[in-house]
Amino acid sequence: MPRLADKRLGPMIFWSIAIAVTAVACAALFYAAAGRTVNAAGPEMIDPDEHFRLLLAGIEADEHSGKLDTAQALAARGELARELLRSKSESTARQPDTLGRAPLLIGIGAVAALSLGIYAALGSPSLPSLPLAERPEIAAQNIDLEDAVARIEARLATTPDDVRGWQVLAPTYIELGRYTEAVNAYRQVLALTPPTAELRTDLAEALLLEAGGAGSDEAMALLAEAAASDTANIRSRLYLAAELMRTASYEDAAVYWQEAINLANGDEPWLEAANQGLAVALNDGVDTAAQDQMEMIQGMVGGLSERLYADGGTVEEWMQLVRSHLVLNDRENAQRAYDAAIAAYPAAFDRGELDTLALSAGLTLNGDTP
Amino acid sequence: MSIELGHFALILAFAMACVSALGGLLLWRRGDRLAAVLAQASILQFVLVGVAFLAVVQAFVSSDFSLALAANHSHSLKPLIFKISGVWGNHEGSMLLWVLILVLFGALVAAFGRRLPSDLSNLVLGTQSLLTAAFAGFTLFTSNPFERMVQAPLEGSDLNPILQDVGLAIHPPLLYAGYVGFSICFSFAIAALVSGRIDQAWARWVRPWTMLSWTFLTLGIAMGSYWAYYELGWGGWWFWDPVENASFMPWLAGTALLHSALVMEKRNALKIWTIFLAIITFSLSLLGTFLVRSGILTSVHTFASDPTRGLVILTMLAVLIGGAFALFAIRSPALRQGGLFAPISREGALILNNLFLATAVGAVLVGTLYPLLLDALTGTTISVGAPFFNFTFGALMAPLLLVLPFGPLLAWKRADLVAAGQRLMGFAALAVFLAILISALGGVSISMVPLGLLLGFWVTLGSIAELIERCRLGRIPLGDSMRRLVGLPRSIWSTALGHMGLGLTVLGIVAVSAWETELVTTLNPGETAQLSGYQIAFDSFEQVPGANYIADTGNFTVTSPGGGTATLHAERRTYVASGTPTTEAAIQTYGFSQFYLQLGEPLDDTHVIRVWYKPYILLIWIGTLVMAGAGVLSLTDRRLRVGAPQRARKVVAEAAR
Repeated sequence: MPRLADKRLGPMIFWSIAIAVTAVACAALFYAAAGRTVNAAGPEMIDPDEHFRLLLAGIEADEHSGKLDTAQALAARGELARELLRSKSESTARQPDTLGRAPLLIGIGAVAALSLGIYAALGSPSLPSLPLAERPEIAAQNIDLEDAVARIEARLATTPDDVRGWQVLAPTYIELGRYTEAVNAYRQVLALTPPTAELRTDLAEALLLEAGGAGSDEAMALLAEAAASDTANIRSRLYLAAELMRTASYEDAAVYWQEAINLANGDEPWLEAANQGLAVALNDGVDTAAQDQMEMIQGMVGGLSERLYADGGTVEEWMQLVRSHLVLNDRENAQRAYDAAIAAYPAAFDRGELDTLALSAGLTLNGDTP
Repeated sequence: MSIELGHFALILAFAMACVSALGGLLLWRRGDRLAAVLAQASILQFVLVGVAFLAVVQAFVSSDFSLALAANHSHSLKPLIFKISGVWGNHEGSMLLWVLILVLFGALVAAFGRRLPSDLSNLVLGTQSLLTAAFAGFTLFTSNPFERMVQAPLEGSDLNPILQDVGLAIHPPLLYAGYVGFSICFSFAIAALVSGRIDQAWARWVRPWTMLSWTFLTLGIAMGSYWAYYELGWGGWWFWDPVENASFMPWLAGTALLHSALVMEKRNALKIWTIFLAIITFSLSLLGTFLVRSGILTSVHTFASDPTRGLVILTMLAVLIGGAFALFAIRSPALRQGGLFAPISREGALILNNLFLATAVGAVLVGTLYPLLLDALTGTTISVGAPFFNFTFGALMAPLLLVLPFGPLLAWKRADLVAAGQRLMGFAALAVFLAILISALGGVSISMVPLGLLLGFWVTLGSIAELIERCRLGRIPLGDSMRRLVGLPRSIWSTALGHMGLGLTVLGIVAVSAWETELVTTLNPGETAQLSGYQIAFDSFEQVPGANYIADTGNFTVTSPGGGTATLHAERRTYVASGTPTTEAAIQTYGFSQFYLQLGEPLDDTHVIRVWYKPYILLIWIGTLVMAGAGVLSLTDRRLRVGAPQRARKVVAEAAR
């Protein structure tokens, strides 16, 4: 069915079914009342007599089994009789009113109006169901990628000059993780078309991926060419900067970080990382942010340990202290804090994950009897 | 389309409930025709909510992520059973399940209640519809499970891995059936107050519903406890966590209601108290729902905290509970008091039971709510921990357990305590002997353990005293005794079994608290450790992929003192979609005892392992199963069924003679 028609028909079918369901439900309510008036011989009440009969049988059974002696049984019967009389006098024959047709119809009308009205406000009748198996995106995904690649490869074997075939294959290889073949494909494209900065960067990227992150002279040369040929190419500059950071050429890296940052609009997702990289590069590779974090942890440890040793604290706080000492590589104090925590919480159950943390970090469990 | 039809069905049920509530509560005197319409409406509500529920299940099963609920809480790789149980593993879906069970009970009353007096029936179904309208309205307007996504994601964000367990398929439906079942008792109580009609017949109607709900609640709580025990990885089976208390309070109140309804049914006494308990029990169920669903308490049960929802539930709670108690205050003085009885009698014993249970509810309520109120009012966070509950609750339960075996042996109205005592003498002696023997063998120092054992054996053995008494064991030939035993009314068996189950649970609790042993150590594959005579060998460590997770698995061989060996696999799972880790403890059962092994976080080749030996821990849950079995047995007793009374003028004339 064409999509346009589907979009219009969907809600119409839905509303027809909804109205039909409402109509059936309302009819069921209406005929429930009508049916009863036709068939009912009289008000079907619970029979109070049955209840008293059972009680009497109970008293007789108790008397037979010897739980009640004759006098007790007599008294119990007497009480039962009084109860019965009282019950009879209370249930004065009150003829129940009967439900007229008007309130019934008003009620049924209200049900229909309320439900259709609320649904109109809350529902989304035009949204079809989308089970995963029937979704077009999934159907497209199910076309076997490897299969398509194999077909293009077969065609390229006979016509190796078909640039478009290589252009399709190269990024697909990257997606499939077949980097060596991707490098080859990009080389073919580069040989068959005029080299652009983008294309050189693509090849360099494939080379980097193939080498598992380590840069090669060829990749660096390609990136440098790309950056030189296109002063607005950001990607090549970012790769260059990162590679230069890795090889500790901070001065050159700083240049490329700066160039990339200058090209940014200000809302790019990589911008923060680039700024950070620039700061580290300018500081000769020392990460001040990480240093600040260390200082912060040390400050926190100071405050926390002072408080915990003096006033005690929760297991979670002790755990934080132990973890902080461990992060700062201060095993002696970590062990000291762990011992103090064990003294405060002798039962292993109370210490929860603290034991796991401490023992897996190689601390020892002292003074505890499991 | 199916999702939207489900949405519409829920709305139609809501509209029907609104109109039924108004009709039932305002026009309740209008007799049979209204009763027929309300009964029909109750059944239709169940069908409609059932359709709505199935639509959501269908969306989860087919991974239809255009339903926001499925996108947020399901995943296409989940095994089928977790796709289904995942429907109620979240706030919206669990409210839908609540409503489904509510209308199911309404439909059951409508189906089995055709012989109810029409005014009573109108009021009961009207009140039930009011509850349905309140909860279906809450679901639709604040937590709609049918919320759609215009841009449907290709994959869902999965269910909390802790909940990916068969426990989720069993625990919530049972617990909800228990919680919600008490709504029927509540509706009957409201009907009695409004109509002023309260008699033994009323109690005969209410007691099966109480029994049914109580049985479900018992199973639900026990299942929740066992689930927490094996899944949360600490080997604890009860934490006095507010969420647990929230389910335990209705259970205590429901147990009291069960016993007081018995007095009312048999002796027409304790009427007002029974009504009061019926209201209290359901109010506590609502309170539990509020505490868990509002997000006030953070736990595995909190799926999302949204202050608006909390406020709406609180308002509903205030209106329903407040309204019920206001009605009670106005109407109860007009109700006629019931029959008289001496202090020493079955009634007296049941009142004693009620007093202790009601006080226990009070203690748990205070311990649960006080920290919450203090936090809300002053901002001070305190925690009322297990010691408070263990002490207060234990102090209340000890005398209750002490007098429990006397109850069933006392006669109605007035009884002979000395005679009952004489009959129990042998059992008391046996219980004392067993308690001393086991304490001596187990090497117990002076503590509460021997007392706990004594109470456990006393209740377990004392519960069969009535059976032995009734079948005259030893006084008549054995064959005759056995015939008498089999022929005993099921209600007597049910009483004995229920009390025996409680005794077994007590024994399990005492044994595991006294003799549990624990070991925390680091272990490399190839090394061994020892605990309570059990040899634990860490054989190997490997990574095993599961359906939607990867498991670090430790394979262990445990050699018991008797020489038998068992292979255990403890896992730490990492779920692909959320990256959340869970632990799957390895549990090996030896008789009623269990060996519990948990794999801790790995570092290089070393693994932290925690091992517990838990003697007789299974008795705790076996006891609850016996209790629930007693409930089922009692329900099959024909005399308790919502029955078809027969006209019997002749006998009544005799009775009036």
